[in-house]
Amino acid sequence: MLRKLQQHFFDGLFGKQNDSPILELINDAGARSSAEQLAVYRDSVLGGLTKALAGIYPVCRRLVGERFFDAMAGRFIVQSPSCSPDLNDYGGELAEFIAGFPPAASLPYLPDVARLEWAWHRAFNSADRLGIDLQALAEIGEARREHILFRLAISATLMASSYPIHRIWEVNQDGYQGDGSVDLDEGGVKLIVWRHALTMHIDPIEEPEWRLLTELAQGRPFGRICERFSRYHPANDIGAVLAGAIQRGWIASFDLPPA
Amino acid sequence: MPRATKSVVHGMGGGPIQGVGIGLRTPHYGVIQHDKPPVPWFEVLIDNYLGKGGSPLTHLEQVCRDYPVTFHGVGMSLGSTDPLNMDYLKRLKQLVERFEPACVSDHLCWISVGGHYAHDLLPLPYVKQVVDHVAERIQRVQDFIGRRILVENVSSYLTYRPSVMEEWEFLCRVVGAADCDILLDINNIYVSARNHGFDPMDYLRAVPVARVREFHLAGYEDQGEYLLDTHGSVVHAPVWALYRKALAHFGPVPTLIEWDNNIPAFGVLQAEAAKAGAIMDEVCCRAA
Ligand SMILES: [Fe+2]
Repeated sequence: MLRKLQQHFFDGLFGKQNDSPILELINDAGARSSAEQLAVYRDSVLGGLTKALAGIYPVCRRLVGERFFDAMAGRFIVQSPSCSPDLNDYGGELAEFIAGFPPAASLPYLPDVARLEWAWHRAFNSADRLGIDLQALAEIGEARREHILFRLAISATLMASSYPIHRIWEVNQDGYQGDGSVDLDEGGVKLIVWRHALTMHIDPIEEPEWRLLTELAQGRPFGRICERFSRYHPANDIGAVLAGAIQRGWIASFDLPPA
Repeated sequence: MPRATKSVVHGMGGGPIQGVGIGLRTPHYGVIQHDKPPVPWFEVLIDNYLGKGGSPLTHLEQVCRDYPVTFHGVGMSLGSTDPLNMDYLKRLKQLVERFEPACVSDHLCWISVGGHYAHDLLPLPYVKQVVDHVAERIQRVQDFIGRRILVENVSSYLTYRPSVMEEWEFLCRVVGAADCDILLDINNIYVSARNHGFDPMDYLRAVPVARVREFHLAGYEDQGEYLLDTHGSVVHAPVWALYRKALAHFGPVPTLIEWDNNIPAFGVLQAEAAKAGAIMDEVCCRAA
């Protein structure tokens, strides 16, 4: 009995509203119909999830306006329910939803801005990894070096966009001073979004850095990465790119599988 | 039965709680860390700290170093018909073991079905079968995390035709069968009493005194046809009046000021807490 009631209740919240079987199970309350009583819960649930999405995607909300965003969130919530008791897990598919949402098609960069905001949200709540052990790294012999598995900071997300989304993000921050216009023809950007201690970072990265970081993010050993790197960037020194990435904090640890 | 001294709920490491605490909210991290205001304890919305690191956990560590805390969640979904979410309970258990809060509480309601979460406190039908179901889940949660928990009465906006008992009878039966404690939300009793037309004193008189370990106070919003539990304002006069009666009946139970929408400056919460503290002193000392 309880199982059915709860399923009907959810159908009443998220699905068909007026002929929902849950309405039969609700007592009359004076002048207030069972549909009106259920609507209190629908408003509360949708309002709570919309507020959570607004908190994760403030730049998207500013770009499209509050009313548009909240209406879009309402559609998203109905089609993409939360699957975790941790509300911080909710909303990761919004970028994909926006990409397929015709009313938002006039802002083609919006899905990528949403991806950037999600990466930020995840980095904010992610685990921390202690700094890389440079001495242990230096002590690895020449012959074993090709087996090293470098790891990105746990908080890090690598993302590429055909639009200058880091600029769009920047000029839409509270308190941003300066020229608020962004030239979409400025072109695309490659970014790493990550956190060091309590400081959040959105760092633009160059092609050789992107190559190194995406290769190691796929779990390739250093020797294999060197081969591939030299094919794409024969003029660049991977040693220097690696040192720079470690120094910036993008690479936060490494493993060396036993010989 | 009124007791002469303030009742004390003991935490293992975080210290006991007594008097009037305040719900910890993000906008107040700065002032709490900077000023170390004299607040007897904070209640932590533990579901906001399930992540593995970063800013939220850092702030939680700082607050737990300086103050006794209680953990309050909505994620247990005690009334759901889904299996208990063991990932959630494992993470909660880790946090409980690490920070040793004075109390761990959740709600007498359900928030999920079919693996989907509403993140909202949904009402249960008050029938015997559901009493058994919820009590059994509370027992399993308590066994798993190794702690007694407090369950809180929620505000509700509808009642079900199949219900065969009053809300307070349902609550009493559940906590008796589960052998758990009670977090009595005075505002929620008032809101539900107004929405469903019962006498809140019938509720208070039915609740077993020894199990009540904490009170909640918050502000509702009058929607005309019903009261909505918004936690978005000061505590209203009828709830203060009911709080007095609750103190006279249960004694000086540790009390929390909750505020979740339109969160004001920290001083406003301190003023509410001072008001509750003065009422607690007045009612409980006079009774002694
Ligand atoms: Fe409460």
